[in-house]
Amino acid sequence: MSNLIDYKNISMALSGNTILKINHLAIPAHQCTLLTGKNGSGKTTLLKIMSGLLKPNSATIHYQGLELSWKQAKPYIQKDIIYLHQQPYLFDASVADNIGYGLYRAGESKSAAHHKVMQALDWADLTHLAHRSAKQLSGGEKQRVAVTRARILSPRLLLLDEPTASMDSDAKKQTSLLLQRLKSEGVSIMVSSHEMHTIEHIADRHLHLENHDIKLIRHTPSSNKVTLLNTTKKKL
Amino acid sequence: MNDLSQASINAFQLLLSGNAEIWEIISLSFGVSFSAILIATPFALVIAFILAFFQFPFRRVLISLFNTFMSVPAVIVGLTLYLILSRSGPLGDLRLLFTSKAMVIGQVMLSFPLLVAMAHASFQAADRRAWETAITLGATPWRAFFTLMYEVRFGLIAAIVAGFGRVVAEIGCSMMVGGNILHSTRNIPTAIALETSKGEFAQGIALGMVLLVLSLSLNAGVSIFQGKGELQA
Repeated sequence: MSNLIDYKNISMALSGNTILKINHLAIPAHQCTLLTGKNGSGKTTLLKIMSGLLKPNSATIHYQGLELSWKQAKPYIQKDIIYLHQQPYLFDASVADNIGYGLYRAGESKSAAHHKVMQALDWADLTHLAHRSAKQLSGGEKQRVAVTRARILSPRLLLLDEPTASMDSDAKKQTSLLLQRLKSEGVSIMVSSHEMHTIEHIADRHLHLENHDIKLIRHTPSSNKVTLLNTTKKKL
Repeated sequence: MNDLSQASINAFQLLLSGNAEIWEIISLSFGVSFSAILIATPFALVIAFILAFFQFPFRRVLISLFNTFMSVPAVIVGLTLYLILSRSGPLGDLRLLFTSKAMVIGQVMLSFPLLVAMAHASFQAADRRAWETAITLGATPWRAFFTLMYEVRFGLIAAIVAGFGRVVAEIGCSMMVGGNILHSTRNIPTAIALETSKGEFAQGIALGMVLLVLSLSLNAGVSIFQGKGELQA
């Protein structure tokens, strides 16, 4: 399995305190990676660095055959990698407008964007909420809107920060199903989570962040997951 | 008391009769203040955003400076600008003194710190996730900035209204750099001061009523906007 992106020598310190010192972090293509670690271990910081939102002290990125500094890689990774906050931020607009937000950047025509938004709403079973103010949604609905808003942009890697935190069991199930469907569409996913049982069944790899570095806890070959994935798809 | 009542009735009559001189003063006053706010606002919003979202040396000093300048008396701003624009001043050759352009410059200087300070408070209170979300969804920094402005629009509108309120009613700066010249630089506050000193209360009261109605409307507008903001938050 080839890697989608490789991050090397990531180091990050704030006020003299080391937060991250990672020699090598490889993200395989089309796989789901579970990232665990204690509170304050640097999971959010790592995800933000990976998505180009936070500048590390140093990092080298191997992407699309190029070896780039973080600054050089930033435009590429911001185009292909989307980060979702633990509590996603939805703009003060309707659900449909939120989902279509990123489409207009590429000069997508209004009618084409509208068509894509309608398809995306249908995909996530959110059509009934299309015209609702996004600020009025529940936590689970907000997370689904955020995932759909990211998916519509066809990212190559989706980074989710504790996506099921503070959710009830139904909302957790729905979010987990959306992530399975995204994975089955070929999107690489990395999820930081404390609730391993919610994500573990779709994760191909389990990484643990400890003492500022990443450790590989488990790597289940993708083929072993196929049976599980097919079973889940049938349920959908 | 009778004099005051009679003056007030005369003031209403002056306004309703469409007195050309009064409406010229009102029009000049609003024109100058709107121009000043239009010029100051875009720069103030960008600076306020930078101060709220980026870390750089002397950032806190700058914030303190803007907060301090916010309360500088208008007459001090007027005096400074007078010295700069007077014949012997560094910009004397531009011959701007006692023109409405000088009044606009003065009002830009007056409103700018207030706009920056209030807009900075709004951006500071904004959810940083809004900016990060816009960026991660592929927005350019400019588009993310406009998205963020939309998210904090109630606070920004309150800042702009407060800025307009400060300059439309100020007298010190307009009097010093405008000179209160009829048909040229006479605005509402300078006209009120002049007419009152002449004992012509009707015109003063009429112009005062315009400012009062404006002030009430602006406050009501801000309250409605902020109320909507609270409901949606």
